[in-house]
This record gives sequence, structure tokens and C-alpha cells, in this order.
Amino acid sequence: MRDLQLSLNQTQRVRLQVALQQLQDLASQAAASSSVTIADTIPVNNEDGILKGHGTSELDGQVVATLCGVVERVNKLVYVRALRARYKPEVGDIIVGRVIEIAFKRWRLEINFSQDAVLMLSSMNLPDGIQRRRTAVDELNMRSIFEENDVICAEVRGFQHDGSLHLQARSQKYGKLERGQLLTVPAYLVKRRKQHFHHLEQYGVDLILGCNGFVWVGEHLKTGEHDMLDDQERRPEISKSNKIDDEEQEWTFTPLEVRHHICRIANAVRLLSALGFILTVEAIIDTTEAGFSSNIEIKDMLGPEFYVQIVEREVQRRISLLRKKG
Amino acid sequence: MEYVNPLTGFRLDGRRPNEMRQIRGEIGVVAKADGSALFEMGNTKVIAAVYGPREVQNKGQQINNRALVRCEYSMANFSTGDRRRRPKGDRRSTEISLVIRQTMEACILTHLLPHSQIDIFVQVLQADGGTRSACINAATLALADAGIPMRDIVTSCSAGYLCSTPLLDLNYIEDSAGGPDVTVGMLAKMDKVTLLQMDAKLPMDIFENVMQLAIEGCKAVAHYIREVLLEHTKQLECHRGA
Amino acid sequence: MLQSKSFVKKTKQGRVVKVVREHYLRDDIYCGALSCKVCDTSAARLTSSASTILIVDTNVVLHQIDLLENPAIDDVVVLSVVLEEVRNKNLSVYNRVKALCTNSLRKFFVFSNEHHRDTYVKEMVGESPNDRNDRAIRVAARWYQSHLGGSTQVLLITNDRENKRKAIEEGLSAETVESYVKSLGQPNLLDLVSLPTSEDVGMEEVEDLRPSKRKVIYNEHKPMSEITSGLLRGIYHQGKLRVNRYNPFEAYVGSESIGDEIVIHGRANMNRAFDGDIVAVELLPQDQWHEEKSSIIADDEDDEEEDVHLVPSSADDAPRNTNLVQPAAASTASTSSRPAGRVVGIIKRNWHSYCGSLEPMPMPAGNGGIAHALFVSKDRRFPKIRIQTRQLENLLDKRIVVAVDSWDCLSRYPSGHYVRTIGKIGDRDTESEVLLIENDINSRPFSAQVLACLPHLPWTLSSEVLANPNRQDLRHLRVFSVDPPGCKDIDDALHCTSLPNGNFEVGVHIADVTNFVLPGTPLDEEASQRGTSVYLVERRIDMLPKPLTEDICSLRSDVERLAFSVIWEMTSEAEIISTRYTKSVIKSCAALSYVEAQARMDDSRLMDSLTTDLRNLNSLAKVMRHRRIERGALTLASAEVKFQIDTETHDPLDIGMYQIREANQMIEEFMLAANVSVAEKILKHFPLCSLLRRHPTPTKEMLEPLLRTAAAIGLDLDISSSKALADSLDHAVGDDPYFNKLIRILATRCMTQAVYFCSGDLSPSEYHHYGLAAPLYTHFTSPIRRYADVIVHRLLAAALGIAKLPPIFMDGLQLTSIADNLNYRHRNAQMASRASVELHTLIYFRKRPTDTEARIVKIKSNGFIVFIPKFGIEGPVYLMPRGDKGGDWVVDEVHQKVMRTGTNISYGILQTVRIHMEVVEPQPNRPKLELTLT
Repeated sequence: MRDLQLSLNQTQRVRLQVALQQLQDLASQAAASSSVTIADTIPVNNEDGILKGHGTSELDGQVVATLCGVVERVNKLVYVRALRARYKPEVGDIIVGRVIEIAFKRWRLEINFSQDAVLMLSSMNLPDGIQRRRTAVDELNMRSIFEENDVICAEVRGFQHDGSLHLQARSQKYGKLERGQLLTVPAYLVKRRKQHFHHLEQYGVDLILGCNGFVWVGEHLKTGEHDMLDDQERRPEISKSNKIDDEEQEWTFTPLEVRHHICRIANAVRLLSALGFILTVEAIIDTTEAGFSSNIEIKDMLGPEFYVQIVEREVQRRISLLRKKG
Repeated sequence: MEYVNPLTGFRLDGRRPNEMRQIRGEIGVVAKADGSALFEMGNTKVIAAVYGPREVQNKGQQINNRALVRCEYSMANFSTGDRRRRPKGDRRSTEISLVIRQTMEACILTHLLPHSQIDIFVQVLQADGGTRSACINAATLALADAGIPMRDIVTSCSAGYLCSTPLLDLNYIEDSAGGPDVTVGMLAKMDKVTLLQMDAKLPMDIFENVMQLAIEGCKAVAHYIREVLLEHTKQLECHRGA
Repeated sequence: MLQSKSFVKKTKQGRVVKVVREHYLRDDIYCGALSCKVCDTSAARLTSSASTILIVDTNVVLHQIDLLENPAIDDVVVLSVVLEEVRNKNLSVYNRVKALCTNSLRKFFVFSNEHHRDTYVKEMVGESPNDRNDRAIRVAARWYQSHLGGSTQVLLITNDRENKRKAIEEGLSAETVESYVKSLGQPNLLDLVSLPTSEDVGMEEVEDLRPSKRKVIYNEHKPMSEITSGLLRGIYHQGKLRVNRYNPFEAYVGSESIGDEIVIHGRANMNRAFDGDIVAVELLPQDQWHEEKSSIIADDEDDEEEDVHLVPSSADDAPRNTNLVQPAAASTASTSSRPAGRVVGIIKRNWHSYCGSLEPMPMPAGNGGIAHALFVSKDRRFPKIRIQTRQLENLLDKRIVVAVDSWDCLSRYPSGHYVRTIGKIGDRDTESEVLLIENDINSRPFSAQVLACLPHLPWTLSSEVLANPNRQDLRHLRVFSVDPPGCKDIDDALHCTSLPNGNFEVGVHIADVTNFVLPGTPLDEEASQRGTSVYLVERRIDMLPKPLTEDICSLRSDVERLAFSVIWEMTSEAEIISTRYTKSVIKSCAALSYVEAQARMDDSRLMDSLTTDLRNLNSLAKVMRHRRIERGALTLASAEVKFQIDTETHDPLDIGMYQIREANQMIEEFMLAANVSVAEKILKHFPLCSLLRRHPTPTKEMLEPLLRTAAAIGLDLDISSSKALADSLDHAVGDDPYFNKLIRILATRCMTQAVYFCSGDLSPSEYHHYGLAAPLYTHFTSPIRRYADVIVHRLLAAALGIAKLPPIFMDGLQLTSIADNLNYRHRNAQMASRASVELHTLIYFRKRPTDTEARIVKIKSNGFIVFIPKFGIEGPVYLMPRGDKGGDWVVDEVHQKVMRTGTNISYGILQTVRIHMEVVEPQPNRPKLELTLT
């Protein structure tokens, strides 16, 4: 597969082939998915008066795909859902991004979109939480909030009239992400759901599945601690002058166990994305659990054996899913 | 030199005049790229990687109503029999870069991607004639893989004229025979030619025959490329699951 | 359908590079047997009834091609691996096999075993390419056997002992050529079988022919590896061996590495090389760079002798510029400074088949009717060839064709085999055919495909031709032609009208052959192959079929004909004011002969318009001619002879010099002008792909014999430029009227011939035509009999935008090869005409011993060469019997004289002598013309 270089041995290869074949069979059983490639004609009933959506165009009176993907029909709307494409933002999407540049009253973020996203200083809740006009001092202190290469979680606010994409972070749950790993996966593997922030209590880990395919796995922080972090950011001189107390000590160093967990979950995400399986919190937990139960070392989670195991596991899962339905 | 055996009608490598070499396409060979593909036409092997649509790097080049397409063609040092350092940006590669860029630009729906930039990198891993065509075919696959909206699939194939016979898909020996070499790039479904190159003189009627042969070749390549793409899309979809 | 297999190959291009090539194996290659039920039989060649299918080995094709060409051998499968090997080893054999395989009458099938899925053989480690190919042949044979099943026997024919053994071990049936031919039961076929060389299967009955002479006569050839390294290091020089046409013991190798010709003296130094072979030569030390007369082997048998022959018309035909004049003085330091060498190896053989006859010999007793005979080629450049025959009594008085098989260093002569009989020696038809074969002239009737390209007869001018806007209707003009009497293929006509402003409109109208000979048709192919019509004394071999040459294209009088016209407006001073070119329709009002035209002009009583035109043209021509000579054009002379032929027996009745009249010169002048105008036009439009004709400036060495002769008689010739030469030739007036012409003839033979070339191949300064003193020249005026003119017509039409340029002009290489072929054909045609004249001269003098006057043109040690102006021939006159070396005749080198010591009898160059001519037959069936002093 795309991201992993695996050297499978003979039996593993056979197992993998069988499993992948089963997957294919299952998929074709489940639904005749209507995959199209570029320039394929999409059969439509013209009398109904259809609306051509994304990934379609008209050629000689026929609806033709301009992307490779799956044809989706919603009432009159016909569009092609692209697989393997860059992220396409929708208002309200929760995304994870990385600061590229600090510009006039704004941060620029890389979010796997065709352009960089903009986070205005005015779309930020100030650290002190007070609603007020941003002053020149605030502008000068922007770097104390987010620096270049910081990873940030935010929400899509919408497109401005000039075509640029704006974000907002007017909530406690948004903001800088620290002490964890950022993973990039194909955006189509993350489904839009109600919940994108997950606190995996059993591991003490936060998981943010950004709609743009950026996944954050990091140490869990209580919202209260967020404030404290902000306090510290705001008054670095204080934290420097004060002696580091016990609580701070505990906070500064992420426990080894949690770090292990972060790595395990991150590897689970990597594995699933390499396999092209959809990234749901359940699947991630399931994979991580599978790693625990078969006593696999963290590094071996990306090895051939576990890889094949996960495929087989997925097959089983889908079979049982199908049974339930049936 | 008999490039077509007058007695058996076979070419030097055992093909008939209207036969293409074996072609093979593989999608997803560069992990970091948004889209990538490997394309082989016989011993000619080309890798293509597409980055984008992404933020325009040089703001001065940004186009407000459509995407900026850039292309870079290069030949690996080891791509030919004798290992040679190939300086970047020589005449030939600049020209081929331009040709590929123009061909691909004609099929990308650039107006859907304003303020952005698409980078296409193609590298010849092994050269055995027809690298131009192979590069275009690889770039098409890579663009499709990157999910960039396109009007149609662009495919390319060359044809030549040696021993008074139009020959499809010249390999290196045939290419270096010095005869005319017609490279055609076309939008397969729309039946439109977007690239036509020849650096020799050929009478009109013969030229039309040779070009027709190249067009047939393009259609065959298009057929194969669609198969590869569909296969790949289906696989992605089925892996992703519900 | 496609299966690919890549293999790695190493090639040498200075350095070693790895070449990876694809090799597709297929399953759609068919066996070619009509009876086959599995395969597609649409292209099958092998008969269904055949019980045996032959598969031939490479060496069989290479050595037994004459046998394969015999219709008795059929149902042969030629494997592509065999074809490939044959092509690499011998291109001419390859072409013959190719012709066999494409001949629809023969059942030869080419099987692409190298691309067949089941018969492809991969080279094994440690296996030589030869072994691999042999194995491939066996694999293919086995495939055939299993493919065709029991109904057909597959027989592998090989002369390779090892291959045969392995084939039999593998359960294949294999035979040698000899045993197979024997099993056919046709004894005369056995003559066609060439003798196996030592490394092949030996035939027991071939024992040593002359055990006593079993000694090494020639040096071993160096192995190929040594030759290549020697070439690289510059010790050896590579080049094509050219044997002196007049002295078979002397040869030249044009070497690029030393930029000069290397002379090779004697058969021992030639070391078994034939004329045309590509050889590697080692230079001899400089002190041996003289002629080694004494070391010539076999000069007891083949005495170097001069035959009576036609006067050479250019340096190409004449004996090479060697030191023949001074062999007696060979010991002096005046030996040539040209490097001499000896052949150390032969890189590529140029063996083909040769025409000639058997050396007279008594019938051998017994020996099962097999006789060993020596074959003497008619062309003296080739050595005698040993052959084996079972039909000796039939062949002794015949002209036969023989092919060479081998020449090992133990035998004095190469060995070969009989190919076919042409006819009886001395018979005119036989000898004519011999000279055609010798000069590679195709005299076969035109094939049906070619004839199918002709328009329907009777051809008439159609209205659509007239409606063509590119064709101008010139039928109203008073056009006429002037040609030799009896000329049927009239390709040029003229007109001349006075314009009101005092100028003249002069038109040259050339038969529009390209209107009928369309590019790419079989007719065109055939014409381009033949290149030119060949004129023999008694017949003409046409380049184009008769209906075209004598009717449709011929600009006969009172019929409407298509023409390509060049029309000038000229002042009365023959200055060209404007030139235009057009396709046209003309109607000639008179087809005159030169004599008639001359008579009209001379007859002052005639004042009709046609005669006025003639006179106008003539006065213009005189001005043009004068101007041309002013420019430095050479008036060269050749001693052309004319025969009167008996209409019934075709035997020559009379012989005489060809007379040149003013009318001839008039026509010639306008043709030259037309050619020059056309050359300018086409070169302007197609600077890279025009076909032009050039005449290289002769080098000093080439003119040396002329200068020496001139010096001997106190004449000073200035050769610094063509103008200077022309002037000094004009001033060379001797005491007798023929003197000037003689000098001109001598000058002519020093020059090389003009040649066709493609303008892209040379730089413009090299386009020059020396003889005509014209910067550009081409041939436009005789498209009926010369293919070059056809090409020029097409170029001109394309330049005018009337027609498209045919695709071959795009291909520089192809155009060059056409030009080369034209030169070759042109030269051969001339050689054939000359040979024909020589033959008829011989026939003429057979019954008429004659006394006549002759001029001495060359002094030799034992006599001199005389030229007989009346008959245009030249030959040796011996002052002493042959072999008598000492003699009391002394050659005076400076004054070019031979003197008898003690007396005042001497013969000097250009002196007139009376001689007696008679045909003698020193050996049966070998008549020759002998000249003696009366």
C-alpha cells in the first residue's frame, strides 16, 4: 500500500490476498457502489431535472464525471464524491492545522486545502477570555499566542468574498495543541460526525479527527488546565520566577505510559490510513486494543504480521456487520 | 536497415507495425505526493508525482481565476545505457516540460481551483523511446489520483514512419533511425487532439495515416488508463467501507 | 497476444554499454503449411501435398543458394534466425533468398522462429552464438515435426556435422545437402552443389586433387580479432579492393586512414582477395614500393596481355595510370611514390557469380563422369575458378555462369560450382547476354504489374488534361524535333519564334514522362532500378516499356503530345531575358534527322518558316556555344563509331566514325541550356534534395599521361583551369588534321565521368561541372531513357507547385542511394555499349582482315599501343615475340620513343603507322583481334 513498505513472507502474502479478496466481495455484496472515473458518463434521468454537483460537467447533453470517485445522489443533486483528493472545507468543519505564517492581524494555516486558511486575530478568543477590541498590543503579541509551526485546532468559519478561507477558534476546546503527534491521512478517510474531539479515558489520551485529514493524538488535558496553560503563556515571567511546584512538574512531563499510548494510537491511525480503512474512533480503539491483546510491540504495529491481522479483523467486523443487517 | 522485416512483417522486437509495446500503469507510488503514478511503455518507465492544488508559492505568479499549473521533466542519470550526469533545465527537458504542461493544462479544469498551484513532476527512470508519451500518460494518472478535476483523460502515443510503413509506438532503436516521429496527445472521450508534434517532413497523406495510427494508439492507452483508474477507485472505495 | 522478454546485450561503441531490448514472443505466427488445421493458412506458402518440408541451416543458404534457386528444390522453410545470420554474413545472398521467399512461384516460407512463443531459444551460459542459433534451428524443426504431425516429414538440411549429429540424437531427420540432392535422383543438380569447406561434413569422394601441389601458396589470413586491433592501432588499413581492369595482377585499395590508394602487386600480395572485397591491408616497407614483376605468381600461365579494345572515353574506362610505360626501367628510382601493401585479411567478401568459359582441356577418363575443370572469367579481374562438373563435354564450348565457394591458402585458385549455361561461345546472342550479365543489366521483359501501369492504347489527348490550368496549350506553336535517323524515342523538341521587339522566344519541349510514370508505382520502381536505357549495337534495352518510349511519350510529328517546356525569351545575342517553365501540350510539325536539318539549313533556296526557325536557332546556338567555350568549357572528343547492321542477320556490315554536324551541336546547345536553367530552378526551391550532375575537376595526377605525351612531342599544355586547358587544346594544332582531335581524345580519357549527386550531400562549391564550365548542371532533357531526368521532372513540377514532391525526396539517404544507383547503372550501360561495340568489331573483322592506318598512343617495353581512328579501337602491337624479354628495343622515356638498338628504326608517340588487323584463334573458341605492323 501507499504509505508502508512491508516485506511480507509467503503465508502472510496469501493471507493478505485472501482477506483483500473477501473485502472486495463484501463490498460488492453490500451495495453496487457506482464508481466512476474521469470522463465516464453518469446515467441520469433527465426528465426529473437534475442538479449537477461537484465533480460533474456536461458534455453533449450527458453528465460526465470530472473526477474519479463514487456517484452520490441526493434528491435531484448528482455529484461525484472524490476519493483521494485534497480537503474540501465546509462551514463548521473541525480541522487541525499548522501555522505557516503570521501576517497582519492573522495567522496562515496549512490545512491540506488548495490554499492556506486564515485565522484572524479577531476570530480568536483572547487568552484572558475578555470580549474587547483587539489593540495594537494584541497584534504585537500574536506570536505569544501561536507561533510558526504550532499545531492548532479550529473550526471553518467560511469563505470570504475574495475566495480565502477563514477559520475561527472562539471556544475553549479550540486552540494550540501540544504534547502529542500530528498525523496526516487522506481527508476522505475522516467522516464528518457530531463529535470530532475524543477523550480516550482508558489511555488518558485526546484524539482529534480533523475533517481535513489531520489527526491529533495527544495527552489529555482538562479544560481547566487549558486555562492554566493560557495563564502561563500569558505570564511566562511569573512561571519562570516561581519555583516549579508539584502540580506543574506532573504536567510538564507526560508520563511514559501516556506517551506509549499516544504512540500506539498514532500507529493504529497510521496503519488504518495505510490500509485505506475509514478512521472512526471505534476503529482506532479497536485496532489499539488488538495491539494490546496480541501483545504487539509499538514498533511492530507497523510490521507485516499486525498489518495482515488488522485486515482480517476488518473482514470479520464487516461480515458481522452485514449479518446484523441481514 | 530493415526496421520492418519485409518477409515476416515483424519489427525488430517482434511487434507488428500497428502494435504497441506492453503498457502498465500503477497508481500511488509516492507516499508524500497528492497523486502519483508509474507508467511503463515497454522498457520506457516514467514516474510522475503531483502536488496540489496548493497555495501558490510565488505570490507573483498567482492567477486569480484559475489554478497555476507547473511541470518539471527530468531524466534520471541511470535512465539510459550510459550513465550520464544530466544538467537540470537543458533545452530538451525545458521543451518537454513545456509540452507536458500545456497538454495537461488543456484538460485540467483550472477554473475550479482559483488561487492555487498544481505541480507535476515527471522523471524518466528508464528511457527506451517514447518518453514524451509515457510522461503524459503518467501525468494523467497522477493527476487523476490527486483528485484534480479534469475535462477528460489525456493520453499520448507516438507513431513513426520507417521503411515506408507507419509504425506505432517507436522504441529507442526505431526512434534513433532518424525517421519522422509523430507524437499525438488527445482527449480520448472528446476525440480532440491537444498535442501534435513532429520534427521532420512528411507528405500530407502519409502524415495523416501516421497520425491516425498514433490516435488509435492513444485510444488504446486511454482504454487501459481508465481500467487502471476504475480498478483503483473501486479498491479505495471498498477498503474505506461504509 | 504479447509476451515480453527482455534480454541484456553488450555492444561495443568505444565503451561497453548495456543494451536492454524488448523481445516479444507471440502465439500468432503460423507454420505456413496449407494442410495445417490449426494455423491461419491465408499466408501459407507450402503445398498441402508436400510429404517433406525442408528446413535449411544457415551454411546451406550461404553456400548453396544456387541450388536453392533451382526450381527442383521447393517446400522450404527459412527460419528468421537463418535469415538474420545470412544477412550479417553476406548481403547479396540475403537479397537472393529474399527474392526467393517473395517469389510467388516458389514455395519458400519464412518462419519467425525468434518471435514464436514455442521456438524462442534463450542463450545458455557458455554457449556460443553459433551453437545457440543451431539449437534454435533444431528447436524450430522439432516444433514443425510435432506441429504437423505424422503426415509430413520435416527434414533438416545441414552441412554442419555437429548440428546434424545433435539433430539425429534429438530424433529429427537430418541430411547433408549432397545426400539430399542425391536422393532426388537428378544428377545435374549435383553440379550446383558447392563443395563443402573443410570444417563442414566432408565428402569422402573428394580427395585431394593435386597431392603434389599440396603446399601453402598464400599466407594465412589473420584472425578477425587481430585485424580489428590492427586497424585500431593503424598497422592495417581497411578498404575496398579494386583490381585493375587491364592488369589483374595489380589492385588498389582506397584507404581512408592514409587518404591515398594503396597499390597491391601480384596475386600473392592480394592474398585471395577478389575485386570488390573489403580487405585489411598491411603496408610494405618503402623500399618495396615498386612493381614486383618477378614475384607475380602464375604469370607463366596468365601472361599479362593487352586485348584490342575500344578506345576509352574517360579515365574511368581507361587503364589506370600506372607505370606501364616503364616496366623496363623499373629498377630506376623513378618508381611510384604510392604506397604498396599486401592483404592480410578479408573483412567482407564480395563473391557473386561470374560469366566465362572453361579452359580447354581433354575429356578425363573414368572418374564417374566427374571432371575438374578450370573456369576463366570473361572479366579479367577475376582469377580462374576450379569447378567440378559431370557434364564437361557439354560445357567446353559454352559460356557458363559459375559461383565461388571457397579459396583456401593451399590452392592456387578458388573453387566454385557451376550455376548455369548461357550459350555457345562466340555466338552473338550468347556474347551479348554475357555482357549484359557482366554489367548487371536487367534485360528481362517488363512484368505484368509494370505493364498494368501503362495507360490504355491508343492514347489520345483527353479534355480533362487540357482543362488542367497547369497545362498550357502550345499546339499552335511550330514545334519540331531533330534526332538521329531512325530515332523512335524522341524526347525533345524545339520551337523558335521571332518576337515583335526583335527578340526570340525559344522553347525546349521535353516529353512529359512523369505524367505517365507516377511515383511509387511498380512502373516507377522498375524504371528507377534500371536507371537508364542501354544502347547496344543491335538492340536497345529500354528503361520504360515500349508503348511509352515509342508512342505515348515520344514527341512524334503531327500528333498531340504532353510536354514539359522550358521557354526563354532571348535577344539575338542569345542573352536570356526571361525563363519560364510549364507543362504543355504540343503538336510537333516535323521530326527531322540531323542530316535533314543540316541539309535544310545549308540549302539556301529553302525559305520556308521551318527552315528559318532552324537557321535562327542555329545562329543563337553558335553564340551560346561560343560563349560557353569562352567560359572555359572543354570541347572534348571521343571516337564514336557507327555500325551498319544487316537487318536480317544482325551482323555488322560496315563500321565507321560517327560524324558530328552543326545540327547536332545546335540541339546539344539548347539541351545544355535547358538543363542549366532547370538545375538553377530546382536548386533554388530544394537546396537539400535536388538531383544534380557534377563533373569533378581532374587532379594533376590524372592529367599526367596527357602531359607526358604532350611533352614528348613538344607541346605545352596549361592545365591550371578548364579555360586554360581548353585554350591550349585549341592551340595544339599539329601538321596533320587529325592531330588536334587525337590530343582531345587523349585529354578526354584523363578525366573522370560526370556523376549524379544529391545537392544535400555536398557543398555548393562542389556542384561545379568542369567539362561544361557550368556552376550547376542536371539532366532534364531525356526522361524517356534516363531515370535521373524523371526525378528532375518531378522536382521541377514540385518547384512550380504543380505536383506534390514525392516522399522519397524527404529522405536524403534514399535520394543519395538513388543517385548512386543511377551512376552505377549509367556506367554499366556505357560499359555494356562499349563491350557490344567491341563484340561487333570482332565479328566484323572475323571475315575481313584489313590493313589500315593507326596512331601510336602509348609506348611499351615490347611494343606500343596504337589507336585506329577509323574504327575507334586501340590495341597493342608487339615488336618482338612474347616472353622475349631482353630484346634489342630500347624505350626512350623522355621522348616517348622505342628504338631498335643499332638501327635508326624507331617509333614515337602519335606517329602514324600502318597495321594489319586480323582475327586469330590462338585457342579454340577464343577468337581475338590481332594487330601487326605491315
